[in-house]
Amino acid sequence: MTDVTYPIEMVRGVPVVRVPEEIDITSAAALREALLQAATQGQLVIVDMAQTQFCDTAGIHALVLAHKRALAEGRQLRLVTPGGNVLRILEITGIARVIPHFTDLEQALTTTPAGTP
Amino acid sequence: MTVRAGPLTLEERLRDIQAITDAALSHLDDRAFLAQLLARTRDILRTDTAALLLLDDSSKQLIATAAAGLEEEVRQGVLIPVGRGFAGRIAAECRPVILDRVDHTTVLNPILWAKGIRSMMGVPLVAGGRVIGVLHVGSLDRREFTSQDTELLQMAADRAAVAVQSMMAQTDRIAATALQRSLLPSALPVVDGAEMAARYVPGSGVVGGDWYDVFSLPAGELCIVIGDVAGSGLPAAVIMGRMRSALRAYALETSDPAEVLSRLDRKMQHFEPDALATVLYAVFDRSLDQMRISLAGHFPPVIARPGQPAEVADIPTGLMIGIAPSPRRQVTTVSVTPGTLLCFYTDGLIERPGELIDEGLARLCQAIPAEPPEVACAAVMAALVGNQPARDDIALLIARRQPAAQEAL
Repeated sequence: MTDVTYPIEMVRGVPVVRVPEEIDITSAAALREALLQAATQGQLVIVDMAQTQFCDTAGIHALVLAHKRALAEGRQLRLVTPGGNVLRILEITGIARVIPHFTDLEQALTTTPAGTP
Repeated sequence: MTVRAGPLTLEERLRDIQAITDAALSHLDDRAFLAQLLARTRDILRTDTAALLLLDDSSKQLIATAAAGLEEEVRQGVLIPVGRGFAGRIAAECRPVILDRVDHTTVLNPILWAKGIRSMMGVPLVAGGRVIGVLHVGSLDRREFTSQDTELLQMAADRAAVAVQSMMAQTDRIAATALQRSLLPSALPVVDGAEMAARYVPGSGVVGGDWYDVFSLPAGELCIVIGDVAGSGLPAAVIMGRMRSALRAYALETSDPAEVLSRLDRKMQHFEPDALATVLYAVFDRSLDQMRISLAGHFPPVIARPGQPAEVADIPTGLMIGIAPSPRRQVTTVSVTPGTLLCFYTDGLIERPGELIDEGLARLCQAIPAEPPEVACAAVMAALVGNQPARDDIALLIARRQPAAQEAL
């Protein structure tokens, strides 16, 4: 359980954290770790949740902490989710209105950050 | 006291290792085990003191926890900041440290130099790749510790780390369960005109941060709360306890559910900036005709009106607690006719790997019978949980306004 790792891939100079099918309490610590590491590699960090089907409160917590940290440090966190459960959870928790999210990686990479210098 | 000279014979070394790895020690309870392990470590290494300090993660301090020949360290509650002094350095650098000068320049804790300790050796306790404490020994005579001595001390530290982990996990589990039990009302208040029933199941055997609460206000309104704090175990249970009390306090100040959640959010963001939670708060007027409800990132209740299929109530959700400063929060008024049943739940009830959330919600709607809450709770748990071990916490609270015929009685 604790040996889950989240690969960070550099796509056109942007660190992209790929999240597997499920994030729960047993794997959320590894996600937090990966998000911390990715934060040192770029102003923009993209969390690719295209494959993710299950994300409980522990997963949401990891995303929110990374978002708050990014905001405080003048960086930005973006999520990629095409729909399904992840988008549904983002909507119910209200996070969809707070953390920028996109339907695919291309959009997340190319959209110019709003309100950032 | 004679200082041991020269390397140990193979036989002596094996005997020493055996004393530390002795399986018989495992039969002791954790505290007795640590005391015995420290006494043996001190004897084998022929030192005068042995002490164990454990790391408190939140304050980044080492706390003296067990000792042999240095009991005053524990009795006086010695605290050593990570990174400072002898033990603090071992914890910060996660490696053995040997000192052949013990005074205020090398050691922070005055007890050690006042006692006349001349040489010290310490090693980190490591569990899951993280330092969880420090084990050190000290000698009143000047002493050159060998690499064999360090190895033996590390062996003792590794055994201690396993015991400490199991001790902490057990203490946390017991405390979290006790806290959770004390905060979840096992008997729900009796309210004229309404019946209620509830269930709480910890996920994977670990208590988490789900809670529900039912209380009435001085003017007679009935209030229902259900929430889910991110995290598990004791830290989540502690946050949950604080949120529950804060919400009750704000409920006495204003009967506007959105305002109560806003105040709760502000309080949490100020005092527990890393906490995150979803909360549903509903206030029923005295007659129970109406429910005013506000959602902070929580699933809306399922509502079953008499003679109609159950459905997820159409209530806009607001932002979770702990994300952004003062988000706009709305109140939705729902009419509650006699016989209407309302089902409040946490995500653990409806989220299953490999299934869409909407499918889980649909199953919940289908599972709710037009029966008293106790029967409805049993039916919902049977249909949605069945024989599956819960992965996440599950909290369920069902309230029903008494059907008209009964009300007339």
